[in-house]
Amino acid sequence: MSHHLKFIARTVMVQNGNVDAAYRTLSRILTVDGIIEDAKRRRYYEKPCRKRQRETYEMCRRIYNTEMARKIAFLMRKNRQDPWLGC
Amino acid sequence: MTRVLVVAWQRFLGAGLGGYNVALCGGIHTGFQRLQEQMENTESVAPEVTANQSKSDFRLFPPVPGQGSSLTWSGKKYEDIPIAHIKATYNNTHIQVVSAENLPFARTSCGTEGFRNAKKATAIAAQTAGIAAAAKACRKGVSHVRVVVKGLGPGRMSAIKGLTMGGLEVISITDDTPIPHNGCRPRKARRL
Repeated sequence: MSHHLKFIARTVMVQNGNVDAAYRTLSRILTVDGIIEDAKRRRYYEKPCRKRQRETYEMCRRIYNTEMARKIAFLMRKNRQDPWLGC
Repeated sequence: MTRVLVVAWQRFLGAGLGGYNVALCGGIHTGFQRLQEQMENTESVAPEVTANQSKSDFRLFPPVPGQGSSLTWSGKKYEDIPIAHIKATYNNTHIQVVSAENLPFARTSCGTEGFRNAKKATAIAAQTAGIAAAAKACRKGVSHVRVVVKGLGPGRMSAIKGLTMGGLEVISITDDTPIPHNGCRPRKARRL
């Protein structure tokens, strides 16, 4: 990181001495940006075949989860106030 | 949509789950502005005594040296405040407090605190190292410090905790974990 400007990226200010909240905010930002899992993955070398298997698995999982979420959101439209009150 | 974000954010802070809640909310783009609004919405409005500023003027991101900002900590601007580097490896945690001009103030690690071998790779060891480093730095006249964390080890969080317990005031936390853009090949995967 010596080639980049310091204290610009991946930096969070601490409000009112609440270091815990600031650290949690930083961790959230890093997790959402995928930096933490990237660093964990790079600890050991991941062979290209394992990497391809992992990518396809994650893609399948993402598709399944989004489709299931869509289905549940659609079906939850049934869960509403009864307009006919049991007729 | 904002309400969903705020509720998801509160559940995040409360339950302390991983990234799953956010991932389910349709891939929020945590742009700077939105994150800042969320911080200002959920955090209670408290008086800002240390930074000599009005109440609701807290910026989540640090002041850039180019653009003028009137935030001061005991009279010093952001770029003149000493830095505490924390290197949190998987087996040990090193802490070095340095001035803004790279003059060293204090250097401690879990090993210098008397822990040996596996005990160095614990959160308690990192906390004691943090307290010792803070004590040494306070003796040299350091009050506020910017923390730079490197690595994902067990002492990552507790070293910062130790610094605050030892009497230093942390004003910002930076993550400097080295992310190679496919540089050196790491060691082979362990087969347990």
